Amino acid sequence: MNRDTGERQPAGKGTQPGVVRPFLLTEGRVVAPGVELPMETQVVATTEGLRQLGALAFERRAIVEACGTPQSLAELAVRLGLHLNVVRVLAGDLRAGRFLSVHEPRTAINTDVDVLRRVINGLRAIPTAAGRA
Amino acid sequence: MDFEAGPRGLPAEPAPAPMPVKMVIAGGFGVGKTTAVAAVSDVPPLTTEAAITEVAAGVDDVSMTPNKTTTTVAMDFGSVMLDPTLKLYLFGTPGQDRFGFMWDDVTEGALGALVVVDSRRLEDCFPAVDYFERRTMPFAVAVNRFADTVPHPLDAVREALDVESAVPVIEFDARDSISVRDSLIIVLELALARAMAAA
Repeated sequence: MNRDTGERQPAGKGTQPGVVRPFLLTEGRVVAPGVELPMETQVVATTEGLRQLGALAFERRAIVEACGTPQSLAELAVRLGLHLNVVRVLAGDLRAGRFLSVHEPRTAINTDVDVLRRVINGLRAIPTAAGRA
Repeated sequence: MDFEAGPRGLPAEPAPAPMPVKMVIAGGFGVGKTTAVAAVSDVPPLTTEAAITEVAAGVDDVSMTPNKTTTTVAMDFGSVMLDPTLKLYLFGTPGQDRFGFMWDDVTEGALGALVVVDSRRLEDCFPAVDYFERRTMPFAVAVNRFADTVPHPLDAVREALDVESAVPVIEFDARDSISVRDSLIIVLELALARAMAAA
């Protein structure tokens, strides 16, 4: 598999995303079933990534730029108008190139008693949150 | 809480990422999944068009099938920042049976699920109920109170669905944030009880 870290332009048609077939951006690569990053995985630009933005073009650059604030792969896909699985592949590339740090959800988090308690308590606090009707 | 580490004036450090957790809101078409997500989400629900057919089919190089039309399926999701280090995502899953593979993608690692039901179209939720029973994921059946009334008693719904006695069957209002929140908490308490029993 090509471990492209993003230096090259994806297919040279990035100015018109609507006419580019989604997986042209990933050079035809998709993530193998079972090893893809969960869609709530948090991605955030590295300091180095923000400094080296000039080395990136088009979608890869847009991803690192958008990740000055941590967000999920799902949010990133919506914000940039890219398919989720395209974002998964490109985020993997950008992580390999140290432009992005990727925080996968902890394994077995759904049976973690402390986490479950924190979520319950957090939800109970909702009505007092600012701006909520 | 203050996360800014470096002195002011230097290039901004990216903020630390919160720990993501997720829950699933499932059910048939038009039962109120997106409404329920919107009721508790900090932000208006986003719709992502996930293209997953090729992945689900195990094809690892779609460039070899240039004429294949990518199937997209709309999925709505929202999020709640529970505290500065913990963010809950709520994913509304497409209810159609043929998108089962999509569910795996969404449900992997989820804390639990709320299956939203319109009691007048009970059969629409069968695929979701079957799915979560098979996955042994903590879930509750939430009968949406359309037009302020539930036309069928919860006992009748439970009987029709034939779910285990441990599965809560509750009534809720997808438009009401407190009602949705409390329903999610019921699922989480089930998950917590299971986790504690297993520990």
